[in-house]
Parts: sequence; structure tokens; C-alpha cells
Amino acid sequence: MIDRNLLRNTDWILIGILLLNSILGVAFIYSSSHYLPGNYYVKQILWMVFSSIAIFLFLCVDYSTLVTYSLYLYLVLIGVLGGILIFGMPIAGAKSWFKFPFFNVQPSEVAKIMIILLLANVFAKFRRNYLSMGKGFLGVSIIAVPAFLVALQPDLGTALSYIPILLAAFFLAGLNKKTIIGILICGLLLGIFGWNFGLKDYQKKRLTALISPSQDPLGSGYHILQSKIAIGSGGFLGKGFRKGTQSQLRFLPARHTDFVFSVVGEEFGFIGVVLILLSYSFLLWRLFQSIGHSRDRTGVYIIFMVAIMIAFQFLINLMMIIGLFPIAGIPLPLFSYGGSSLLTTYIGIALVLNVKMRRFANI
Amino acid sequence: MENNKVYEDLILVLRRSKKIFIFIQVLTVFLLLNFWKIQVLDHKKYWEKSEANRMREIVLPSQRGLIKDRGETILADNKASFKVSIIRENCEDYDKSCRKISRLLKIEEDVLKERIKRYESFPVFKPIVIKENLSFEEVAVIEARKLEFPELFLQAEPKRFYPFGSLAAHALGYIQELSGEEIKNGLYQQRRLGDLIGKTGVEKVYEATLGGTDGEALEIVDSMGRSKGKIAKREPEKGQNIILTLDYTLQEKAEELLEGREGAVVMMDPQTGEILALASYPTFDHNKFIDRFTPEEWLDLVNSPEFPLENRVIRGQYAPGSIFKLVIDLGALELGLVDEETTFTCKGEIEIYNEPFTCWVEKGHGEMNLIQAIRNSCNIYHYQVGKKMGIDEISRYAKMLGFGAKTGIDLPGEKTGLVPDPQWGREVRKERWQPGETISVSIGQGPLMVTPLQVALYTSIIANRGRKVTPHLLNSQSLAGKRVFSERDAVDIELSTFETVIQGMWEVVNKGGTGWAANVKGFDICGKTGSTQLVSTEKDKEKKVEEEEEEEETKTHSWFTGFAPRDNPKIVVTVIIEYGGMGGATAAPLARKLFNSYRRKYD
Repeated sequence: MIDRNLLRNTDWILIGILLLNSILGVAFIYSSSHYLPGNYYVKQILWMVFSSIAIFLFLCVDYSTLVTYSLYLYLVLIGVLGGILIFGMPIAGAKSWFKFPFFNVQPSEVAKIMIILLLANVFAKFRRNYLSMGKGFLGVSIIAVPAFLVALQPDLGTALSYIPILLAAFFLAGLNKKTIIGILICGLLLGIFGWNFGLKDYQKKRLTALISPSQDPLGSGYHILQSKIAIGSGGFLGKGFRKGTQSQLRFLPARHTDFVFSVVGEEFGFIGVVLILLSYSFLLWRLFQSIGHSRDRTGVYIIFMVAIMIAFQFLINLMMIIGLFPIAGIPLPLFSYGGSSLLTTYIGIALVLNVKMRRFANI
Repeated sequence: MENNKVYEDLILVLRRSKKIFIFIQVLTVFLLLNFWKIQVLDHKKYWEKSEANRMREIVLPSQRGLIKDRGETILADNKASFKVSIIRENCEDYDKSCRKISRLLKIEEDVLKERIKRYESFPVFKPIVIKENLSFEEVAVIEARKLEFPELFLQAEPKRFYPFGSLAAHALGYIQELSGEEIKNGLYQQRRLGDLIGKTGVEKVYEATLGGTDGEALEIVDSMGRSKGKIAKREPEKGQNIILTLDYTLQEKAEELLEGREGAVVMMDPQTGEILALASYPTFDHNKFIDRFTPEEWLDLVNSPEFPLENRVIRGQYAPGSIFKLVIDLGALELGLVDEETTFTCKGEIEIYNEPFTCWVEKGHGEMNLIQAIRNSCNIYHYQVGKKMGIDEISRYAKMLGFGAKTGIDLPGEKTGLVPDPQWGREVRKERWQPGETISVSIGQGPLMVTPLQVALYTSIIANRGRKVTPHLLNSQSLAGKRVFSERDAVDIELSTFETVIQGMWEVVNKGGTGWAANVKGFDICGKTGSTQLVSTEKDKEKKVEEEEEEEETKTHSWFTGFAPRDNPKIVVTVIIEYGGMGGATAAPLARKLFNSYRRKYD
């Protein structure tokens, strides 16, 4: 359990930034969805409470225990992902959800935690200076199984978001030039193969829309264009809280989820964007800065992968809403409405706190 | 630092992670530059685009399922109707708009604003209906001045229409705008403020089946309200049709016969529980209720339990009078307290528990057996049988025969009536049960209350010799698997007991009994009349006082219930005419006409 020492070593600053960003997130979810039925902001607050309890629970157990059992957690996850493919009821066309009486959980989000734990387990034992072929393939297969199952749901965006976690582990293990080239070639081949066999038409359209969104403003370029109109019309100072004409944004179907940052752009302008980016960067900085504060390699890997997981989604989401990246359904952690994403981010940060607070513990 | 010792290559790791962090920083700055370009450098371009971006969300109304009678005559149909809505987003100046619209559509400005206010919670781009059932002239005017009124939006919708006006209004019910309260209660999760839903009758009970799913379309429009293309569209889904057990011909006949009176008629197939006619009078034209803009006073009238809207068949609670005597006869025979040959002598008056009780024939019926007592509806005979039985047994048999409980018909708001017993006296009425009350109950008076539908069910149990069905309006074949009208437990009374009572009922109609006026040659009708004084509601009390001076007859309600043919019964007819006088004089001849109509059509 948590004793005094652990409490003293808790990173309260990190918890503070986490809560600050989540509360800002709730405010924007409110602004973009208060007139819709569904009370999304209330639900998000409930998820915040629930996720905070999860943080507490995850702090009670030493992370090394979690890592020891990571293989079993991972196998359970594979079972669950396989199970919802077979028994799941599709919501919005995808079998991604686990239905509970009052809420739905998306196991593919929470999966990131199991993946991080298992990768930390595998790579912490790796003692060479550069990644070896064998470890490389082991790492790839660890994410390939859940990614494949999630891609079948079909939820390609989430499946692809496992890749940066793996790359983070690779990077920390050390990459020499040969390996980098190898990874690039693999990526390219995967891309070509995917374009020809894997991607559905709408997904291809999203990619082409990236190049010229205004060609077909009501088709797949529509979201990008509308998002840019919202952000651009916000100008330097923005239109004011709840006053965004575009992002009281019925123009965007996912205005309180994937496109929530467009609301920030429209209502608070460039100033707002800068402030939120600062606040977010502060969170990322705190995470990266924590990397040294671990008693062992496992902890270092955990912190680094969590940091990359959040940073990657943050960057991709922002690029997505201004048309620099195809619309892949990647939420903005802590800002986009969605309990599973929030829960995953909170648990990820709980792992970081866990590693940090036990950095002086005797093994 | 102490923590550095555990990780020998920490420096290496820190170097690697720092590279990544710098990479992320660079990307963030790159993103910021992009935001700078979009929000500051290109601001004007996007601002203009945002101004041109207007949107309209249109509900594509679904069509309600049709309601048909058993012969597939359409009782509830849909017809095209035009409505006009306001889109607040397109108003340049809201108040000015309201003024102009008020003149154009000839609606009071206050009324208009009030109306819009009710839907304030809607997003500004969502149309709010402000006038419907537009005439062709109005449609033409709005269409012609479209450019002047970009905030107005004209749309056609299929609308409920009852081609036969008030026919079967109580059974079918009516539809009305969903109220905010009903939405809060969460009863209609698929529906939105402003939707029309079934409020009573079949329209309400089968709302889920009849009501379709509205479609939706999102359109981008320019500042003049011209559509620039659809963004998304979901086609409306039609509601399902349903077929009722009602028979148009019989229903019409029943209502025609009731016209000008207050009363109710039920015609039912005793073997299946199918209702062929269900009429309550006075009635109303349910076409009038479909309007979204019914003035408040009119709505009040609708919502109040006042009589034209009240379905007397299931909600009217009356003393059963002499038709209840069959309960006494069945019970007493079954208990062995009397048999066919038991005789009593009626002298027109009798003293029981030191109270005088009279028969309806002043000079008395003389000596008679049970069957003759049914035929003549003798009170004196039944007082004595009822006294033998006691209130507990009477109440037990009454409940067994369907009184004091809902029949389970597929209509909302059914009343249970009342079968009193001493326990009820103690616990509900808080007054001790008087022995004399048992005597009153023996002839269907006292606190006893029944609905006409319960009487029809009771008659059908006798006709079936004990089988108990559930009365229903939905043709169970028309919605396969959706609703089954299960048969209830058979009534525990011997066949021979039923045959004895049915012999009495046959003589009522065919052997010069009180119900002779219901006789149809060759149709073997068995029935029972009833005449009751009813003083149960305030309204009736007033009425009674008013009519104090008038003849005795006008104070009594007139009952007739019966079935035919005697063997293999096919139809039950129950009639009550309020203030109709003696059952044999008013209700029975009316029943005859209904039996006749049935026979003409089905026999």
C-alpha cells in the first residue's frame, strides 16, 4: 500500500497539470455540445472522477508487480478483443465497444496500457546497445496481434496508434542506421500493401482529400475544410466562449470528440491555441523530465512509452484538424470527449507516478 | 544522485529521450506556425467563408402506419399537409422578422413569439414549426416571397387523417404534439419536442408500431436560404400498419344507434375476445386534435376527464343492476344453495333485516323457480338467494366472473370497477358492512360498480360456459409474434350450472321475459336486462337533482347484455344507455338491431 514516503515522493505537479488540462477539456466539450442531447460534459466529469479512482488503484500496486503479470494481462486483452469481434454489438458501424449498463468501454484504448507493460517487461531485460533482429520481431508481434484485431473492428486509427509505442521502445533500445533503414523499408512496404489491399475507399479518399480539400467540399474534404474555417474564422483573439458560430459547429459531426480543438481555435483564437499548447507542452515536458526518475530500466521504458503515447496522439490530432494528416479518428487526450481515452491517459500517467514515487524503494 | 546508480546506461537513455522530446518540440512549433497562418494570415478568407456557411437541419417526417378494420377498411389514414417553419439563424433581425411573418401568415405576434419560445432549446439552425395545415393560397404566398423571407421554410408532411370523422374515436384515440413533460419522463426516447404521438386509444397503445422513424437531412444553404447541397441524409422509415378486430359496419351501426344519447356499446366475439364494435357516446372528431396549435382552452377541455372524451366502455363505472343477478344464480347453484326447482314467492315486497325491500312489479310475481326468476328478473327471489349466499361468496363469484379487475384490453386507462365486501368496507370505506347492503348487492345495486366491457366479458364467460378470454382490438395475426392475447384460467363452475342459467337467459329474450324486445327470430339470443339507479359522480348527482321532477324512468340507466346463438355463441352484445329507463324498454331493442346487423353480415 501507499506509505508516507511514497506519498512524499508523489509528483503532485504532474497530477496538477493533468487535472488542469482535463478541466479545460471539459469546458470545451461543454461549449461544443451543450445544446446536444446527451450531456456529454457531465459524462466526461463522471469519467474524470472514475479515472481518478483508477489512478489511485494503480498507485497502490508496485509497477514491477504489474510488469511481472504483464503477459497474463496481455493475454486477457487479446481474449477480450477477440471476444467483442465475435459477440460485440456494433456501435456506429464498428465493434469497438464493451457495453455496460450506463457506459461503454473501448478495450482497444485501454489495450495501450497492456502493450506498454508487456513491452517494458521484454525490453527492460535487453542489455545490448542496439536493437537486435530477434527483439525487433518480438516487439512487432506483440503489437501486431491486438492491432490486427482492432483493425478488424474496423478501427484503423486506433490500431495504427499502437505503432508509436513500439517505435518508442525500439528507440530507447537503440537504433543503428541499418535498423532505421530496415524499419523505413518495412513501413513503406506496409503502406503500399495497405493502400492496395487494406484501405477502404473512404479511407483512401481521406488521404487524397488531404492534398486538395476544396476539390469536393461536401465529400471527404468537408471535415478538414470546415475545421479550418472554424479555426481560421476565430482569428487572433477568437469569438469568445460558447460564441463560435461554426463550432456551435454543427458542421462537424465529431465536434466534441476528435475536432474539439477546432472549438478552441474558433472561440479563443490564436491566443487560446498558444495557451493550450503551452499547457499541454508543460504536461509533456513533465513526463519526459520524469524519465530519469526511476529505480530500474523497466520504469524508464514505462515512462518513455507513456510520454510518446500521449505526445503522438496530441500531435496527430492537431495535424488532423488543420489538414496536415488524414482524418484517422485519433482523439486529443484529455480534451476530446470519450471515457476510454480519458481512462487510458489517466492510467498511463498513473504508471508514471507509480514509477516516480517508488524510485527510492529497495528491491 | 542516488537514483542514478540503478541504471548504468541512464545517460544514454536520457540522451535518446531528449532527442525525441526536441523532435516533439519542433513539431509543436511547426504546428503553431500553421495555426498562425490559418488564424492570423488567412483569417479574412476563412472569416468570409464562415459567414457564407449556413446550415439547415430538416426533419423528413415519417408516415404513421395505417389503422384498418377487420375488413381492411382504412380507419386512420394520412394525407399530405403543408407546414411552415422559422429558422432563427436566418433572421436578420429577430423582432422585425416576427413582425413581418405575423403579417404574412396572419398570426398574432405574441402567439408566434410564444410558440417559438417553447422551442428555445433547439439549435438556431433548426426549423421551428409556426403554422401548419396551410391552404394552397398560403403556400403560394410564401413560395412567391421566398427571397424576402429566407428564415421561412416550407415543407410538406404526411398527416394523420381519420376518413370517417368521429367513427371509433374512442377506440382509435387521437394524436397530439409530444409535450415537454413527456420527454422529461423519458417515455419516448426516440421522439423529439414537437413530434406528434398517440395520446389515447390504439394510437397510444401501439405507438411504437405505428410511429415511424423520422429521417433527417442536413443542408448547406447560402444567405438567401437556397440549398447548396446536402451533407447528410437519413431516409424516414414508415410506421407499420395494423389491423384491428373492429368491424366498420357494426361500429357505424352502434354509433348511429347511440346518437343523441349517452351510453356505450360493446360487441365482442366471445370465443376469441375480438372486439367488433366499441362505441361510446357522446363522441368527438379526433381529426381536430392533430393540430399542433390547438388553443390552450381547447387543450384543457381535451385533457379534462369530461365526458365526450371519456371512453365509457372501459372508463364508465356503473351499477350493474339486474344483469348482476346471474352472478348470484351461478354462485348459489354451484354452491348447492338452490337448484332449478327451488321456489320463492314474490309478493312485491319483503322485509329483510327489518328493512323493506321491493320488487319492480308492485303486485309481485307470485311463486316461481330459478329460471322463471331470471326470466322475470325478480328482485324478491334474488334477495333471498343472495342472503343465503352471503357477501363473501357473492364477491368471490363476481371476481371469478371478471368484475373488480381490468379485463386486459389493449387500451390505456381501463378502470377496475368495484366489487365490495366487508373487508373493503372496513379498509377503504371505513364504515362497517351492513347486512342490508348484501341484499342490495344481490340485485346489482349498492356500492357495486362495473364497466360495460367487464359486463361484455362476463357475458362471454357465460356464453363460453366458463372459458375466459382477453378482450382485444388488435387482430393478433396482423402483427405476428408481437402480441398474444392469452386466455386466462377457465372459471371453476360446472357446465350444468351454466346451462341452467343460460336457459333462464334464453327465456328472458325468447319466452316473454324482460328482454323480449331483443328477440331476433331464429338467432336464439340469450340475454339479461338491467335497470339501475346510479348516483356515483358529482355530475350525475346534479343531473339527478335537475331531473327530480321528471318521470321515474329517466333516472335509471338501461342495460342489456346477451349473446347468440345459444349453442356455439358467436357474438356478445352489451348496451348501456344512461338515463335510458328500463333495460327492456331502451337497451334491449337497441341490442336487437345490433344482433340483426351482425346476423346480416356474418350469418
